[in-house]
Amino acid sequence: MDARDPRVTRRGFLTGAVAATVILEPARRTAAQPKAAITYWNGLTGADGKVMDELIDRFTAETGIRIEQQRLPWADLYAKLQVSVPAGEGPDLALIHTVEVPHFANDGVLEPIDDATVGGKGFRAEEYLPATWQGGVFQGKRYSLPLDVPQHLLYMNVKVLREAKLVGPDSRLKIPASRDELVTMAKQVAKGDTFGFAIGTVNPGKYTWGFHNLLWQNGANIFAPDLKRPAVMDPAALEVAEFWGALANQHKIAPPANANCRDAFTAGKLGYWIAGSWNFTGLREAKVEFAVAPVPRLFKHAVVWSMPHQYSFPKPKTADRAKREAAWTHIRWMTDHVAEWTLRAGQVSASRKAHGDPRIVGDPVLKTLLGQAGSWQVGQSTPKWVAAENVTRPVIDSVYTGQRPARAAMEDLAKQITALPD
Amino acid sequence: MRQTRTAYLFLAPGLALFVVFRVYPLLEGLRLSFTNARLGRAAVRYVGIANYTRLLEDTRFHVSLANTAFYTVASTLPVLVIPLVLALALNRGALRTVLRSVFFFPFTLSVVTVGLTWLWLLDPVVGPFNYYLRTAGLPARSWLADPATAMWAIIATTVWWVTGYYLVIYLAGLQDIPRELYEAAALDGASGWRSFRSITLPLLRPVLLFVVVTHIIGSFQLFGQVFVLTGGGPGDATRTVVQHLYEAAFQNFFQFGAASAMAWALFAVILLFSIFQFRLLRGHTEY
Amino acid sequence: MQRGLDVQRVALTAALLVLAALWLAPIVWVLVTSLKVTADIVRVPPEWIPWPATTAHYREVLFSSSRTARIGRAFLNSVVVGVGTTVLVLITSAMAAYPLARMRFPGRGLVFTVLVGSLMIPNAVVLVPQYVLVQQLGWLSTFQGLIVPEAATTFAFGVFLLRQFILGMPGELEDAARIDGANAWQVFWRVVLPLSQPVLAALGIFAFRSAWNDFLWPLIAVNKPEMFPLPVALALLRSAYSSESYGPIMAGAALSAVPLLVVFLVANRRIVEGVRLSGLKG
Repeated sequence: MDARDPRVTRRGFLTGAVAATVILEPARRTAAQPKAAITYWNGLTGADGKVMDELIDRFTAETGIRIEQQRLPWADLYAKLQVSVPAGEGPDLALIHTVEVPHFANDGVLEPIDDATVGGKGFRAEEYLPATWQGGVFQGKRYSLPLDVPQHLLYMNVKVLREAKLVGPDSRLKIPASRDELVTMAKQVAKGDTFGFAIGTVNPGKYTWGFHNLLWQNGANIFAPDLKRPAVMDPAALEVAEFWGALANQHKIAPPANANCRDAFTAGKLGYWIAGSWNFTGLREAKVEFAVAPVPRLFKHAVVWSMPHQYSFPKPKTADRAKREAAWTHIRWMTDHVAEWTLRAGQVSASRKAHGDPRIVGDPVLKTLLGQAGSWQVGQSTPKWVAAENVTRPVIDSVYTGQRPARAAMEDLAKQITALPD
Repeated sequence: MRQTRTAYLFLAPGLALFVVFRVYPLLEGLRLSFTNARLGRAAVRYVGIANYTRLLEDTRFHVSLANTAFYTVASTLPVLVIPLVLALALNRGALRTVLRSVFFFPFTLSVVTVGLTWLWLLDPVVGPFNYYLRTAGLPARSWLADPATAMWAIIATTVWWVTGYYLVIYLAGLQDIPRELYEAAALDGASGWRSFRSITLPLLRPVLLFVVVTHIIGSFQLFGQVFVLTGGGPGDATRTVVQHLYEAAFQNFFQFGAASAMAWALFAVILLFSIFQFRLLRGHTEY
Repeated sequence: MQRGLDVQRVALTAALLVLAALWLAPIVWVLVTSLKVTADIVRVPPEWIPWPATTAHYREVLFSSSRTARIGRAFLNSVVVGVGTTVLVLITSAMAAYPLARMRFPGRGLVFTVLVGSLMIPNAVVLVPQYVLVQQLGWLSTFQGLIVPEAATTFAFGVFLLRQFILGMPGELEDAARIDGANAWQVFWRVVLPLSQPVLAALGIFAFRSAWNDFLWPLIAVNKPEMFPLPVALALLRSAYSSESYGPIMAGAALSAVPLLVVFLVANRRIVEGVRLSGLKG
């Protein structure tokens, strides 16, 4: 008899496990509901994400359309998007960066949007900043619609710079006007565990967006104008790479390659900081005393890195008109409410309508961001841009940490870009 | 005859699982390694050994292979010795159970949790580790971003993680050594060191070899720690083979053929190592 | 002489205690951080007392309306995958180990050799083809897509462990059952399994731990974020919050440790026994 008892418990255990599996099987009840529910992937993982949550709650309350949001860090989101679409598991709507459009379009991950539909939904080119509108087009076909323009900005830590006496006679913080000035001023700040200058939020060593920004300021780029040959061996690009390598090594002004620059800035251990516009609402929340200025001209041109967010439709397994309509309704709603998005998430809108809003013009940071519009530049429109960026990351990291001299590293990068598979 | 049928009926569910999800993928991987397979590519062609010859030119693959080998070799000694020393110290004594639990605890954490923990501890600017170093007048470094120390930091993290596991194994091995042997040695006037060298070590040899083999097979597949702690950086200083493979197949280019070739190249290396290990194992367990 | 020994012993114990404290410090630091209010987290010098304390980070990762952190959901996913894998491994390996230990049949040696040999196959080698297979089965982002391959990985080890154990069991009880008219299945179910309980428990914990902690396979086999198990959700939480604060990350890390900590405290002896069995007979 003794031997029977375990059998009973084991069977009970099994039944329980099976039951748990059945119950936890993702609920498919949503289909039964009258109003559409759509899945929406985005990488708004910072303070902007919370704003998006609230706006979407309001959207649902007003329209009855439910949005199942999934938020992944951008790099992971793109990798998952690429594998989930062929497997028929993609979302109904995805927010992506402009530079992702060419390769996703090329790989058949995104559905083209015809002009008639765009016009029919009331979206017009003349309402948008031209560069953001054009960013949704690849080889003559539209794949996405712009929402806003994340971009770089110079943050200055008031407490740190005051302590370093970097204050002008008018008691305003001194703003570097050139590379040499920046280095001199940052050296005045850097001592002990306090750093003078950083570019990038986390892991500044492999912050490709910062590296691109500097390349563009020097008139250089990743690819030559034919968008095939790498251009990272051009003297202008090498000059940037040299500067990149000197930041933490020769100049000793920048934090280590894996530092969290944002934390350092918040903790009062960083003076000048070029970083994304998405950081400023969080800094305000954390009550850090800071001032902002346009990205300084460190090389030949005062170019500002920017990368508009775009709404896109990943190819579904089977077309679902109701879901597509619901997604359009959401894009429309967000475009109409973009002033709030700008004010609270800190991202300047791609559509011009909100730019005159007195609340936006009255905000010193947003005003600075809008003032940079003439200097914006985006990545090159080639399907290889993102792949090239992925191989650039460890290469510039090795330059930043002083593992390799800039020239050798760029030579290697050029080789790797040439060898990228089609 | 009846028994054969019964036996295979018992084996059927497990063998089905094993054949479909272990054996078939293994062989399919070999086949894929000779093709240009890519995620979503419909027309897959055989390309002969092109994927393998390309590996010969892939300098980042060489770097990751060298890093993996370095990690494997450099981590073996601490993983072998630290738990052993602890086991010897803990073998007898009142606090054994409690302390064994303390050292074992990290092993219950997932590699991601371990990584996150150490990432925070080792944060170059605001992490406590560097702070205490500075307070003690020692040089602080950005351990994970310094090419000279990054791999060592990963090794240290791993040692912290797995020491408890090997400690328990060593303790079990030590318990199995008859006490009389030590008593006899003590009567003969042998010192502690002598009896360690002439009794403990030889009798522990199978356990030591188990630890080495387990650790080495695991080391060749190093991924999680690197993924969380360094992402393979600084530069490619901690990039490993599995990371290279993962990125080729699932992150950047979705090249299943090329990634399969990497997998089989890695497999070949492990196989060679294992054969070597078994030679050693067989040679030494017969005492 | 005696005094000298005592001093040595005290010194050794003290050294061990210090080392143990250092060993636990990282975990304490995780807990302390997870309980601090955000503004206190990034502080130099580090503060070891989380005061004022808050459970906000736990609430955020478990229940928050922010869709970034789905640790609560990931936790449930991991439980299902862990339990499912454990059950599947226990059933299949016990059933396979029994005939390998007790029956004579052609192919026995071959089957066993292949199984043991497969322990040498690194998981990374089957990663890509396994992904292709699971995709063809339509199992991506499903529980079975996580459980079945995970169980297949542990199966061979389970067979090996259980076979060794059954070989060491006295056969008389089985003989007695057979004389009473029990067939092979009844002997296995009523005699062999109950007697194997200690090793089944050890194997169960081993299987649960590896399924609970596995990272690489779920990282690629799950595309739908609501199906992520804990390690994947945590790793992504890291990148998601790196620009925000360590609070939610550390809360997530602490939560992920809970189930195995409980198992460990409840079944400490079993685990040690399990490690012992797996180690010494390996």
